[in-house]
Amino acid sequence: MENSDAMQIAKEAPEVNYLNTDWSIKSWLLTKDHKRIAIMYLISISFFFLIGGLYAATIRLELLTPASDLLESGTYNKVFTQHGIIMVFLFLIPSIPAVLGNFLIPLMIGAKDLAFPRINLLSLYIYWVASLFVIFALLTGGVDTGWTFYAPYSTTFSNSYVMAVGLGIFINGFSGILTGLNFIVTIHTMRAPGMTWFRMPLFVWAHYATSLVMILGTPVVAITVLLVAIERFTQTGIFDPAIGGDPILFQHLFWFYSHPAVYIMILPGMGIISELISAFSRKKIFGYEFIAFSSLAIAVFGFLVWGHHMFVSGQSIYAGLVFSFLTMVVAIPSAIKVFNWTATLYQGSISYDTPMLYGLGFIGLFLIGGLTGLFLGSVGLTVHLTETYFIVAHFHYVMVGGQLVAFLGGIHYWWAVMTGKKYSEFWGKISAMLVFIGFNLTFFPQFILGYQGMPRRYAAYPEEFQVLNIFSTLGASVLAIGLIMPVFYLLHSLFWGEKAKHNQWQLSGLEWRTQQPPPTFNFDETPVVTWEAYAFGEEADLEIEEAEKEQKVLPTG
Amino acid sequence: MSEHEEEHIGIPGYIGVFLVLVVGTIGTYYVSLIDLEGFFAGANTLVALLIAFIKMSFVVLFFMHVRWGSKLIWLAVASGFAWLLILFAFTMSDYLTRSVTGR
Amino acid sequence: MANHEDKHDDHYHQPGLQHQFDDMSQQMDSGTLGMWVFLAQEIMFFGGLFTAYLVMRTRYPMAFAAGSNHLDAFLGGLNTLVLIVSSLTMALTVYFAQKGNRNMQIILIVLTMIFGTMFLGIKGVEYTSKYEHGTVPVDGWNKVIKEGQHKEETSLRLPFETIAHAAGGAEHIHANPRGDFRIEDKDIELIKIAEKGGFLTKSEKIGYYSDYSKREISREKIKGKIRIFFWLYFVMTGLHGLHMIVGLGIMLWLLYKAWQSTYSAEYYSPVEVAGLYWHFVDIVWIFLFPLLYLLGRHFLAGGGHG
Repeated sequence: MENSDAMQIAKEAPEVNYLNTDWSIKSWLLTKDHKRIAIMYLISISFFFLIGGLYAATIRLELLTPASDLLESGTYNKVFTQHGIIMVFLFLIPSIPAVLGNFLIPLMIGAKDLAFPRINLLSLYIYWVASLFVIFALLTGGVDTGWTFYAPYSTTFSNSYVMAVGLGIFINGFSGILTGLNFIVTIHTMRAPGMTWFRMPLFVWAHYATSLVMILGTPVVAITVLLVAIERFTQTGIFDPAIGGDPILFQHLFWFYSHPAVYIMILPGMGIISELISAFSRKKIFGYEFIAFSSLAIAVFGFLVWGHHMFVSGQSIYAGLVFSFLTMVVAIPSAIKVFNWTATLYQGSISYDTPMLYGLGFIGLFLIGGLTGLFLGSVGLTVHLTETYFIVAHFHYVMVGGQLVAFLGGIHYWWAVMTGKKYSEFWGKISAMLVFIGFNLTFFPQFILGYQGMPRRYAAYPEEFQVLNIFSTLGASVLAIGLIMPVFYLLHSLFWGEKAKHNQWQLSGLEWRTQQPPPTFNFDETPVVTWEAYAFGEEADLEIEEAEKEQKVLPTG
Repeated sequence: MSEHEEEHIGIPGYIGVFLVLVVGTIGTYYVSLIDLEGFFAGANTLVALLIAFIKMSFVVLFFMHVRWGSKLIWLAVASGFAWLLILFAFTMSDYLTRSVTGR
Repeated sequence: MANHEDKHDDHYHQPGLQHQFDDMSQQMDSGTLGMWVFLAQEIMFFGGLFTAYLVMRTRYPMAFAAGSNHLDAFLGGLNTLVLIVSSLTMALTVYFAQKGNRNMQIILIVLTMIFGTMFLGIKGVEYTSKYEHGTVPVDGWNKVIKEGQHKEETSLRLPFETIAHAAGGAEHIHANPRGDFRIEDKDIELIKIAEKGGFLTKSEKIGYYSDYSKREISREKIKGKIRIFFWLYFVMTGLHGLHMIVGLGIMLWLLYKAWQSTYSAEYYSPVEVAGLYWHFVDIVWIFLFPLLYLLGRHFLAGGGHG
């Protein structure tokens, strides 16, 4: 055993990690390291979130007054379309998988990298190219079809840059497909010794399920967008009613992907929440297998319900009934997760760190979003609520109140792993609360507005809806502040923050046990896993590790 | 972990599979000329699809080595087809039930 | 899963072993699984097109049969055989790669490429024929034939024609001053056969007639549905052709590597994986051929319904 002086010196020597190993641009742009790719994705999606947010701000400003005074309708159409496209395709779908999934999955399963690091890099490049197309279209005139691109408006009548954006989305789809492919293979073939399927963190299960959806669903929207582009280009096609084509066919093909797409968005978020709730209740997650299998169930059943977006489209009412029933069924696995998280909290030793605030916020907001989804899934109610702000409120509750909140929780939770730094817990808590308050103030009134009949996608609305719209815009301002704050205090911590304590919450996951931030190949030696997932304390050899951590040796079975 | 035993069937085996495929192709080409609609509507289509399915199975099992593949590979293949079926079945559930009384 | 042990210090790097893998077996398993996952997504990619085909054909079966009769089933069948041969040569390439036989690998890759190119060549002949006959489904994209320029058909005539091909017969090339999409009288005849036989679908009764109760056929309306058939034909075979071109690119790369004696029993998974892709493209065609080319042929052979 070395004497304590020598150990002090050893502790203070700058350690080589994946960030400081090489600062050149070339080493970043040609990297094969999944962690660097994740960071580059983080920067990209944050940038697009900002742009999408500016569009949202424009919408909320316009809707302060009943008249279409800030923007004329044609422009407003472009604004909400682009808000949707950027948020869904350039932010929500990649966010958790491409940032946190990429960063953490190899670490969590004890691998050196993903199965195909170069394909991972390709995925990033494809994402950048696709985003360029979308930006190009925005700058040269925009798209006004709604993010849903319905034919025949998108194919025949719209005068906007449908083909450019369509091409961008088409290319972007392959980015997701390659990421999903990488995750599936990695999880099957690259787990460390002892890392059985049922010892993996639920975050990994969630990403496995998400990847299944990406692989099986995305190609269908890819071909659909391609068909729209071809139809637009040739000025004739299968969605053109004038020659016997069918616009509803477009909707079937579009929603076959776009419904499962919402599960691509929420499943990774749910994976994060399982981690947060367990860590900050200091308790093993309740019902591990139930949560793991419910992720798979959501992925599978999610493919059987797309017609619930088409109840009033002219679809057969009998098909509508089947889709409605299955929509009720697909809610069950989600509910199982919520019950299990609650059961985990029960009699847990709960601490209210910033990530936990986001985690608890998720449970409440996802509950509301999910339940309102059930209202919309019943055919009778949907006739009244469709194309109103009720729908807008519903999906913002699940996508923003669910997914975005989970993403923020995850970024904060694993910040120390990714950067080795500590952010200001004070500002973290403040912004989490601002996000929660701002979010509810923005979107809860929209449920009421929708129920009262305010249509969505309209720049002008009847006067009686103005008061609630003002509340909504006020809420959006608070939300915006809450969302901008992390940019500042997180970046501050990156450059001037304290070094985070190694494995500050004493967790058993492999991503916590290795160096913070990790070295390029993740572990000094391949870990051998002998403990169950979410083990605490002695069971996970964490006490031995306490003593050994100065020497950075992992227990190697 | 993986035992790659594809050379089981060897060159003669591959040529055998090839011949099955050729026979299938020629077969489907000539059967398409015979009107089978007398048996039931859509009989011609069904026969053509059946022959195509058999040809595909030979390619998948022997040329693509799935016959000796792991359970995981079988699952991947099966999932691809299952999902295709979901897409077909649920889409057609709309079109086929539209003119049933009322809507 | 197997126990993949890793020791950084005494890591012997087998040629071709990527750094993230512990051994060749893990690498091969990953590569194969990865390609199958990719093929699953390709199934869904083409699946969208097959769904569109399914929906449209169910609605307008006779228009699809009529359109199908314009296609040269002989060339389609020939192409099917060409692809099947290329699949054989591909499978044998993998076989010889595993045996480490460089020369046979090279010969077979070249053969595979030759057949692949032949496929594309025949496709080119077919597409050109469509252009000349006015069956490209976009107005203005067909060959402009001014009045007075029409002549007897000079299409590919091979020694062993089938009944259907002959029945397709000497086609007049009609005037097409604007290069529009055109249909033939025989297409209308086919609709009438179905009408007499009583097997038009409900959509067809609306879709082909300006007034079904008076049996007033609308050539314009029928043309629209046949246009849809050709639109799908071009998109489906076009996408398939694109995949073939990519496949040829992959073959070229394989050829380069095989030339350098890269592959052997220890390391041949890229060949196996490329083979999987090639066979998949073959399988798509195995379905495209009957669905596009063979539908309406039983009408031509003098059949009707029952």
